Amino acid sequence: MPNLSLGSELAFRQLEQRTRRYFLGECATGLGALWLAGSNQTASAQGDATTATAALHHVPRAKRVIFLHMIGGPSQLELFDHKPELVRFDGKQCPKSFIESQQFPFIRGIPNMMGPQYPFAQHGESGAWVTDRLPHFSQVVDDVCFIKTMQTDQFNHGPAQLMVHSGQARIGAPSIGSWVTWGLGSENENLPGYIVLLSGGRPPRVGKSLWGSGFLPSVYQGVQCRSQGDPVLNVSNPQGVTRDARRLALDSLRRLNERNHQLFGDPETLTRIAQYELAFRMQETVPEAMDLSAEPEHIHQLYGAEPGKVAFANNCLLARRLIERGVRYVQLFDWGWDSHGSSEQQAINVGFRDKCREADKSMSALLIDLKQRGLLEDTLVVWSGEFGRTPMRESRNGERKFVGRDHNPHAFTLWMAGGGVKGGTTYGETDDMGYTAALDPVPLRDFHATLLHLLGIDHTRLTVPFQGLNQKLTTVIPARVIDKVLS
Amino acid sequence: MPNLLPCRVLLISTVFLAETVFLTGFGVLHAEDRAVDVTKTDIATVQFATVQFAKDVRPILNEHCVACHGGVKQAGELSFGYKEHVFGPRESGGPIVVPGDPDASELIRRITTDDDTERMPPVDEHPEGLSAEEIATLVQWVRQGAEWGEHWSFVRPVRQPLPVVADPDWCRQRIDQYILARLEQEGLAPVPDAAADRWLRRVTLDLTGLPPAPVKRIRFIEDVREQGEEAYAVAVERLLDSPHFGERWASVWLDLVRYADSKGLGLDGRRSIWKYRDWVIDAFNRDLPYDQFTVEQLAGDLLPEATMDDLIATACHRSTQSNEEGGTDDEQFRVEAVVDRINTTWQVWQGLTFGCTQCHDHPYDPLRNIDYYHFMAFLNNTADSDLNSDAPLLQTPLDPSDYETARKLDQQMEAAEQTLWQTGRKLVTDQSLWLPVRGLEAAATDDTEMAVEPSEEGDQYYTVGTVYKNTGFVLNAPLPEELAQLTALRFTAFPLDPQASLANPEWGFVLSHLKAELVTPDSEEPVVIEFAHVIGDEPRPLLDPQLSLNAEHDDGFAAFSRIHHPRTAVFVLKHPVAVAPTTRLRVTLEFKRSSGGSHPLVARRGSLATSGDAQWTSWLNDAQLTDTRKTLAQLQERRKAIPSVALPVMRDRPENIARPTYRFDRGNYLNKAEQVSAGTPSVMPPLATEGVPNRLDFARWLVSDENPLTARVAVNRFWAQLFGIGLVETQEDFGSSGEPPSHPALLDDLAVRFSEDMNWSVKQLLREITLSSTYRQAAVIRSDIRERDPRNRLLAHGPRNRLPAETVRDQALAVAGLLSEKLHGPPVHPPLPAGVWDPFQAADKWTTAERNDENRYRRSIYVYMKRTIPYPMFASFDTPSREFCTVRRITSNTPLQALMTLNDATFEEAATALGRRMLAGAETLPEQLKFGLRLSTGREPSADEVAELESLYQQLLEQQPQAQQEPAAETSEEEERVTPEEQAMAIIAGVLLNLDEVLTK
Repeated sequence: MPNLSLGSELAFRQLEQRTRRYFLGECATGLGALWLAGSNQTASAQGDATTATAALHHVPRAKRVIFLHMIGGPSQLELFDHKPELVRFDGKQCPKSFIESQQFPFIRGIPNMMGPQYPFAQHGESGAWVTDRLPHFSQVVDDVCFIKTMQTDQFNHGPAQLMVHSGQARIGAPSIGSWVTWGLGSENENLPGYIVLLSGGRPPRVGKSLWGSGFLPSVYQGVQCRSQGDPVLNVSNPQGVTRDARRLALDSLRRLNERNHQLFGDPETLTRIAQYELAFRMQETVPEAMDLSAEPEHIHQLYGAEPGKVAFANNCLLARRLIERGVRYVQLFDWGWDSHGSSEQQAINVGFRDKCREADKSMSALLIDLKQRGLLEDTLVVWSGEFGRTPMRESRNGERKFVGRDHNPHAFTLWMAGGGVKGGTTYGETDDMGYTAALDPVPLRDFHATLLHLLGIDHTRLTVPFQGLNQKLTTVIPARVIDKVLS
Repeated sequence: MPNLLPCRVLLISTVFLAETVFLTGFGVLHAEDRAVDVTKTDIATVQFATVQFAKDVRPILNEHCVACHGGVKQAGELSFGYKEHVFGPRESGGPIVVPGDPDASELIRRITTDDDTERMPPVDEHPEGLSAEEIATLVQWVRQGAEWGEHWSFVRPVRQPLPVVADPDWCRQRIDQYILARLEQEGLAPVPDAAADRWLRRVTLDLTGLPPAPVKRIRFIEDVREQGEEAYAVAVERLLDSPHFGERWASVWLDLVRYADSKGLGLDGRRSIWKYRDWVIDAFNRDLPYDQFTVEQLAGDLLPEATMDDLIATACHRSTQSNEEGGTDDEQFRVEAVVDRINTTWQVWQGLTFGCTQCHDHPYDPLRNIDYYHFMAFLNNTADSDLNSDAPLLQTPLDPSDYETARKLDQQMEAAEQTLWQTGRKLVTDQSLWLPVRGLEAAATDDTEMAVEPSEEGDQYYTVGTVYKNTGFVLNAPLPEELAQLTALRFTAFPLDPQASLANPEWGFVLSHLKAELVTPDSEEPVVIEFAHVIGDEPRPLLDPQLSLNAEHDDGFAAFSRIHHPRTAVFVLKHPVAVAPTTRLRVTLEFKRSSGGSHPLVARRGSLATSGDAQWTSWLNDAQLTDTRKTLAQLQERRKAIPSVALPVMRDRPENIARPTYRFDRGNYLNKAEQVSAGTPSVMPPLATEGVPNRLDFARWLVSDENPLTARVAVNRFWAQLFGIGLVETQEDFGSSGEPPSHPALLDDLAVRFSEDMNWSVKQLLREITLSSTYRQAAVIRSDIRERDPRNRLLAHGPRNRLPAETVRDQALAVAGLLSEKLHGPPVHPPLPAGVWDPFQAADKWTTAERNDENRYRRSIYVYMKRTIPYPMFASFDTPSREFCTVRRITSNTPLQALMTLNDATFEEAATALGRRMLAGAETLPEQLKFGLRLSTGREPSADEVAELESLYQQLLEQQPQAQQEPAAETSEEEERVTPEEQAMAIIAGVLLNLDEVLTK
């Protein structure tokens, strides 16, 4: 598509019609190769990965994204944000300035400060500080760029998760993956361009809205793939319908539809024929892509994956397989990082510890595996929660056994690795308590602008008119690309 | 500084420029434009002698100027949105425009000057600048007198003269004349009429969302043969009378009002609001005029003699999202709901992007930031406040035949409650009856720190710093000296900061229990005071104040969940108690409730007063009031006996505790600016009212004759449903940034006739359109038209669009003979792919209706609509997930849709049933196939289609042995014996259900 900033839907539609007419009329080989309804995918439909990115605003450093979202808000103070001063304040009353005119979901009164619950050490050539909860991850820190000063303006999970993925706190705006696939398309005509994988036993609370296409056409919404049952809804034939029988049926369907097209001359009919053919191919490609048993044993061991299970480790490995096949945007959600200290699962000293053990190996394996396959160069891996946690202890109802922290929108750690990111670096500095940004705060919109920049997109030009406004992922507030994290 | 000499030179050059353009430029532009997009010709056909502001000038200003000189950014204090800015005096320099004098107009000077530093638009940001044509248009406009016109849609529509057409015989309805005139003007001929049965399928799907039954088709073809044109009218009448008419059109409306059966954000728990959905279905079925339809939904509760239906209608704006997540701020999400109601109202009824003005003046339209908040004042005082209970709720009888009885009982109960409350309240507000309590000592039962300060109305306790959940306060004080006996105790709760809380209300309180004791120094045992009754400060509180007397119950007298004003409750003693001068009063207040398990609801400031007046006791024992109480109890019993479901509805808070409305600085609800009163935007016609206007006044204003938009927006929406695209394509934006209408005269004429001649009858409107020649045309897209008008805006052929999600599913069930025609009722749960149902709130179960349960086969409008887990079939076919108002669905065409209609359980079941129906419906294979084709396409099949399917059938049968070798699939609800013939026919039926023709109307 010549222009990412579409003037109006009218223009969009006309272009769509025009390309489709060209495509269907004069380019017969392309029949059925329209994954995205003939919008901006005609180039990639030919299977040529380079043409899909021909319309970029500048040379991209990353071609695809894997986003690991730890649902609940993992504690930066027990993972990456080393705060030795906080140790000294452990158990002391929190300064008034921390709680004055602040809203917390659960902290009431004057809470006590709480020191880091796990020891930190420096790792790699870069000397990045990581806790002892992540022994595997400590080995790959030189590929990672930490942003310690992420900020959001929402302190409840639902709105904050929406902020991370759509830039807005309310449901109804497109998610990052939708913007990206809308702008860039997919590199594989037989797989969805935007795939979502869930683990942790619960879905994120705002559900599908986190991978919704908002006011972009619905083809750009994320497609949830599953490790159990049909990997994509209805990808299996009904009982008793063989693939051969389906082929026969689709041939008949095509001939009848072609006849219909001759009668009415509606280009939509040709698109529909193409989509049925693609669906047929997807019935093979999707299960193949999602089949972990095809991976050798040492890879399973690297990730800690167990085929057939719904697990974060499996999803990390799947993410690599999907990326390898040209999927543009893979979004993982792993539930269970909301460490309030109000129950065993939510305790930093119990549930959080277990979550770290589960995630450490697989997220590190993902980086190692991508790197050894040469994919890390142009694949961007992002790891984040929706907010951070307070340096104050939350002790709801006087809880003593379990240790936890409340939500903190003022500072959380996000890390990136791969395509175009300067590995072995840290950006931003929090205050001595790790409560808020002391140096270089990064609002989510700046992260969004940076992510798009890495993909070759100028965030100010990826817009779509809706409700009287040229809507952007970075919203109406000015955003900036964080140059210092770029390699 | 303006320099005269260059200006004069320039004037000459602009005239020259303009005329050159007139002679050559426009011709070229016009021809090019026509080739690209016929709809643009309206704008492009600028006749030089008659430059029109709205048509010719406004688009130029919008495109090039308002980004800096608009509503948002008013650089140099100039916005081209406002007349006074353009013509008024300016602090520096002359006016922007001097009518009739381009030479003296700063606008013209600045767009024509050679000085790069002065020329507009600035060359660095707009290298392309204004074209010669655009400059010429602006110059001509000023020379002509710079007539200023409001954007077309802000001007009230008037009846339009019928255009003259060359072929009047083609026109069956008035609308046809406008369509044909335009086609003739473009040199296009309409496509001939569709075959009778194809028209029947189209109109049946459009009006009822279901395909025509084969028997209806045969009868119709006969009727056409016998009665001709009359048969069409009869068919439309039959469809308009069908109960399925309402189901079809309700689903359109439910997108607009973002109807869902769940609450959205946070936990997305179930919300029981389906009675409203049924109301919408019925409203369409009984052809409730659109004006009443509007008023009842926006303000049915304020109508005099409101019926049960009127109240149910107000659930319309209770379908906003609410947030039940723990630790959330109710006020934030209450405000978000109000904002949503404002934006939705303006989108749905006015087709305006009013939401822009939440943060700033509208960038394109003459709507001001302040207008948003004046309008907010209409909606800001409803009693709902993002409560988990969804209160206020209306007990809606399950059986509509109980509506009248129930409503009558409710009215009697309300009257009784009013009487009781008002007689009590009269005493409460009689200051002479009260003696304030002074010398108060206050202590908390936990770590909460307390203090006391005196005030004129007695001492006030207040909390210092943090308050905790489950806290209790013990208040100790001497009784007022004058007091000889105690008959009533008054508790007043205040916001901690009463002034600030008006704008930014603090968390409220729930007084879970109040205990009062008399402590006399001599006696050891304090005397517990027995209360008989609590009089709160509103006639119909969300929580029952009487519960403050019940130690076992957490509810009671409350400001739930925010406090704006002082709140008063009076506790009336069962019997007067004599008090000695040394007697002290000890009152224990308990607060056990919190919001979202997090914010304690505690009265952080309060005072006490006592009364010894005998009136309290007589109020308590008054024979008439006692009777009223008895009657009330009986009424409540009778009401309880009517099986009902609780429905969230609109209700205003009483005046004494009304929420004031403030403008939000930059749209942020935490930053309140000046207080505002209710009103409509100044650019719109004035709102006629006596006194302070309310929601009802606003609703009536919307449908008044003077409102320029309501009828236009409505007819355009119905038009778009039938033709796939509106006369105004941007149904959501009739403002100056939206698309202009393709047929302005038709739109206006239809709008005026809809509101006046048709009395807002939707059925009459749809009757006229569906009986028109425009609608009757075949859906054949001729190649010349496909090139020239790919989107069929000129309507040179009949509509051809993919069916909406609901219709795709309902049609499959109907064709298969599975569809249940049952109307109304709670949401249903048809089959769902495994793994989809994984709600955050585990209690929200999806129990799939079994095969013997007709709820499995109900129409799609009844399927449980959960916002965070949309029904997969609907989601893949572009149904919005109803988080916000969706004005139009954008139709997509994807492989996921193919997988859905090929493999999904519902479609598999439909294919199997259709296959069996075909086998049972005829003796021979060709007849069976023809039967299936007729059922699915609603027309007579051709020989080659039958041959195609026959050949498929044979091939499938030949393949069968292979098929049986396949391992059996793991999941099957019922192991039914399927014969090879049935299997083959089911696959063929699947082909039929997936035909492009079947998925399309």
